[in-house]
Parts: sequence; C-alpha cells; structure tokens
Amino acid sequence: MPDIVLTVSDLVKRYGALEAIKGISFAVRPGEIFALIGPNGAGKTTTLRCVATLLKPSEGTVTVAGIDVASSPDKVRELIAYLPEEAGAYKNMRGDSYLRFFAELFFARREDQDRAVGTARDISGLGDRLGDKLGSYSKGMTRKLLLARALMTRPRLAILDEPTSGLDVLNALEVRNLIRSFAESGMAVLLSSHNMLEIEYLSDRVGLIYRGLLHDVGTPAELKERYNAQNLEEVFAEVAR
Amino acid sequence: MRRFTVLLRKELRELLTLQVLAPFAVSILVFVLIGNIVGQEGENKTGPSVTVVDADASDVSRSVIDALESGGFKITLAAGDRSPTYIAAQMQDGGSSGLVIGIPRGFGADVSRGTPRRLESHTVMRDFSFLATRDAGALKGILATVNDALSSQLIVQAAPGSDPSAMKNPVGLEEHVVVGDRSARASAEEVIWFISNQTTFIPIVLFLVIVFAAQIIATTIASEKENKTLETLLASPIGRGQLVTAKMVAAATIALVSAAAYMIGLRYYMDSVAGSLGGAGARGASDTVMASLGLTLGPAEYALLGASLFAGTLVALAAAVILGAFAENIRAIQSLLTPLIVFIMIPYFLTLFIDLETASPLLRWSVLAIPFAHPFRAAPSLFLGDLESVWAGIAYETVWFIGLSYIAARIFSSDRILTLKLSGRRRVRP
Repeated sequence: MPDIVLTVSDLVKRYGALEAIKGISFAVRPGEIFALIGPNGAGKTTTLRCVATLLKPSEGTVTVAGIDVASSPDKVRELIAYLPEEAGAYKNMRGDSYLRFFAELFFARREDQDRAVGTARDISGLGDRLGDKLGSYSKGMTRKLLLARALMTRPRLAILDEPTSGLDVLNALEVRNLIRSFAESGMAVLLSSHNMLEIEYLSDRVGLIYRGLLHDVGTPAELKERYNAQNLEEVFAEVAR
Repeated sequence: MRRFTVLLRKELRELLTLQVLAPFAVSILVFVLIGNIVGQEGENKTGPSVTVVDADASDVSRSVIDALESGGFKITLAAGDRSPTYIAAQMQDGGSSGLVIGIPRGFGADVSRGTPRRLESHTVMRDFSFLATRDAGALKGILATVNDALSSQLIVQAAPGSDPSAMKNPVGLEEHVVVGDRSARASAEEVIWFISNQTTFIPIVLFLVIVFAAQIIATTIASEKENKTLETLLASPIGRGQLVTAKMVAAATIALVSAAAYMIGLRYYMDSVAGSLGGAGARGASDTVMASLGLTLGPAEYALLGASLFAGTLVALAAAVILGAFAENIRAIQSLLTPLIVFIMIPYFLTLFIDLETASPLLRWSVLAIPFAHPFRAAPSLFLGDLESVWAGIAYETVWFIGLSYIAARIFSSDRILTLKLSGRRRVRP
C-alpha cells in the first residue's frame, strides 16, 4: 500500500472566466480522514468533483493511488466511491435492487457482489425496508442507503460530500462511527461538511478552503492552537477575516 | 460488455413502468375501440337511404324508383301529397339525416316527350363525418342512375331494337398504368388509392416512433439530473460511451416495441375504417393489379424500410441525448425537444401532402437535408422500386448519427454533462 492515496497538486479549475479553484495542494494517506471546510462557494464541491473524475482539472494534477484522474479516469473510478451532497436514488427501484445494481457494476464475480450487498445491508441497517421502492424512503433512509452503497465496495478512497446531510442526531452519530471504523480498516476519506463539530470529531486533518484557495492544513488541535481558537468555527472565522 | 448489460438492464427496468406502459395500452385500446365502432356503424349503414316523394305516380316515376333500388339505395316512399321541403323539415325535427328526392307532377309525361325536368333534392345534414359525407355524395350517384334508366327508355322509344348502352357510350376507355418498366390494365385512381391505403399508417408510425424515442432518452437523462443520480453513475466504473449507448439502446427498444403495438392498433383501425367506407373489397380486387405492377412490398423491402426507420430513430436519439444534457429537470424537456420535433414534423407533413420528387429543387433539397425526411420517403420509394434513394437516405442518416453521437459522447465525457443547463450557459457550483 503506497503512503499516499490521494495527491492534489496545484489544482486549478476554471468555468469560463471564473476561477473556482486557484491552485490548491494536499494529500491524503491510507486510513486518514481529510476534511475540507469552507463557506458556500469556497470550492469544496468542485475539488471533490475533480477528485471523483466528474470534472477535469484546468491545471495541476490529481492522482489516486498514483493514477492520474485526467488521463485514466476509468481506472480511478474502480478505486473510489463518491457520495454527492444532494445525491438521489432511482425511485422505482427497490433498495436491494439498487445495491445489487452498483455491486454488479463494480464486481464481476457473484461472490464479490453478494459480499458487497451484504456489507451494504449491514451498514444501512434498513432491514426489510430494502425490499421497498426507494420512492417510499425518507430522506434519512435514502442517505443511509447511499452511504452504504458508497462504502460497500470498500474503496481505496471515499469522497463524501456532507455525509450526514439530512440525518437526525442519532443517525448522524451512527454514520460518523461507521466512517471512522472504515477509515481504521485502511480506507482514505476525503469529506466536506458545514458541521464543524462533525469535522472536529471525525477528521484527522482539516483543510481550510476559502475563495478557491487552501489557506491552511492541520489537525483540528493544531489549527485551534495556531489560531488561538476554542473550536474550528473560530478558526474558520479567523481565516475568512 | 458486462457493465453495459448491467446498465442496459437497469435502463429497461426504469423505463418499463406502469406510467410508461399504461398510455400505450390505453392508446391501442382506443384505436381498437374506435375501429370497432366505425366498422359497426359502416355495417349498419348498408346503403344510402333516400326518401322519395312521388307526386307524379306515373310509370316513369316508378321506373325511377326501381332504378334507385336496383342501384343499391334504400328507398322510403313518402306520401305524394306532401312537399319534399315538408318531409325534409320533418326529418330534421325528428333528428334524422338523409336525402329527400321529390318527383314533381307531370314529370313522366314531360320526360316521355323529351322535355328535360328537374328532380328536387333536399339533403338533411346533422353531422359532417366521413359516413355522412358518403350519404351526401350519393346524390350524384342517384342522378346518374336516374338519367341512365330514363335515357335508356327514351332511346328504346325513339329507336326500337337499338342497344341503349352502345348508343349512350359509343366511346369507351381502356386504362393502363405504367410504373417503371411494368404496365397493367388499371386506372391511375385505383393505383393511387391502393398505395395511399397501404402507406397511410406508415408515416404516422414513423412519426410516433421517432418522437417517442427522443422523448424517452431526453427524459431519462433529465431525470438522472433532476433526481441527482447522474453524478453517482458518472463516478462509477462504467465508460461514458457505454452509459450513453445503454440509454440509447433501451430507449430504441421501448420505442420499437411501442411502435409495433401502435402499428397493430393503427392497422386494425385503418382496416375497420376502410371496410366501413367500402374500401376493403376494392383493395382486394386491386391486389392482383398491384402485384403485376410490382407495387407490393416483400420481406426485403420491409427490412429496408425498417432499416431507414431505425437509422432515423438513432439520429433522433443522438440529438435528444445532446438536448437532454441541457435539461436541468424533466419539465425543461418539452421545450428543449420542440426544435427536434419541428424538424421531424416538417418532412412528415410535406411527404403526406406533396410529391418531393416533383417539387422545386430548393424545396426538395431543403427537405432532403433533414435526416428525418428519409424514413418518410422510404415507403413510396420502395413501392416505385427506387432502392438506391432508400440506401442513400440510410447512408445520410448514418452520417448524421455518427456526427451527433460524437458530440453526445464528447458532452458526456467532459464537464459539460454536469455544467450545461437550459440557457446554454454553464452552471457553476464551486
């Protein structure tokens, strides 16, 4: 296993004249949870989408396990799982069928597919409701199913945009513990969140992104000490100032 | 290939829902139902009915009535002391429709002397349907029957022992129709009637298939964007080309299956309507003539027609993929597809009403430049044995398909699939 799973070097992303990302660099190690925090429009989602092969970098490079996302996106997609912030599911599909569909996309062998679906069943905790159509799911149930879908393939890198969005306190806590346990088994995690408490609890390291620039990177404790702050919210306010 | 199959299965499952299938089933049932109703109405109306007011009550007027009966008209005799106007008004008040013919007093005596007289007719109209038109059109038939019978009587009176038929029609017409290098004894009207009866339903089905396929694929793409499932799919290990192809194959499959169902329903409907208008018998009589003119389609011609339709459907699918990429939600699809549907409608209507081969060069080439013109043109070309133009049309459609597929694949393999929106500008969410 290489020392670095994700390397982002001088990443620039432009939409026409708008420069959304202005040259950011960071790396994520196996088993590490790296969080990007910043206000709306700071460039978090664009960064995550570039890593997830959905957007092509305008400049700079992004590699996953040493594979360049721009030149070999298909290979990178075998290694990652992406959970978008507002992701939905196919409303006419049943929960089981949805998980089976993605398992079949990722794995050729039936045993691997069964194992992935079994893992997802455990993660989602949805039990018999997996036999129901997704259109009947609550927002929280859908989010848990999508997270289970993302983690069931045991990706080298999980890219999670607001992973607990729409979940109640107990479900959010459960999801955080789940992400933590998967990271402990070696999965690297790149996530973004507005919830500073969540970031503080979950993240090994945090990147402060603001107006397309990565202003600082460090552990939550290092950042609080560096900015003489009580919590990450105060750190963030200091950077934004 | 495995991932393509998985994706195709998912696309078909997504499309084969009650919401998609129910409208087809209902449409086909409606076709069958209407066909049955029209057919039964046609059968009930065995012949045009005529109410005759015979104020003359002469041998001549009775021979007029006999001639009408032998001509297939259903005769009802009204009291001779009533005026035809009164009888027609009574029919109108009673809610019925039909023809009233008045034979005036002195009619027989005048006609026998060779003095022309007029029959008085009143057409009571209550609706304007095809069947009502048939009744109204019977008037000329009545006059021809009456004139034929009376002129025969006059000829026999004037020249006993002569053949009235030969004297009335000393010159006959033996009609021949030439199509390509084949010739047959038939009237041009008969041939045109046969071909139009055979091909009327083909453009309708072509139009439905192409438009429906375009709507399906654009809707699936817009639905993926609206339901926020597209990003997850795009980040999965499946090639963008496979993703687009799976959606196109699924949409084409559903469109072709629905086309087959529509075709069966339409065919049933057309046969019922043709039968009720007296067309089925005439068509049967024409079959031999058409075969001798080579105006029948064999399996190879139908295969070529299918290939042209399939190529046209693929062009529509590729164009709809591009348009679907602009849609942020399903509601935007209708307005985005409007230009495409207009380009399908132009050749559809033009090929129904004009002959492109004899149109002005500017109009002809402008229409032929539209790829969807070629499936509509294929059936008439095949009837005329012009296989070259059908093959050329398929080749032209293929060029369009390759070009549009290339653009679609470029959109799907770039940022644009996530950033394009209805206005054409990019949606940015840093």
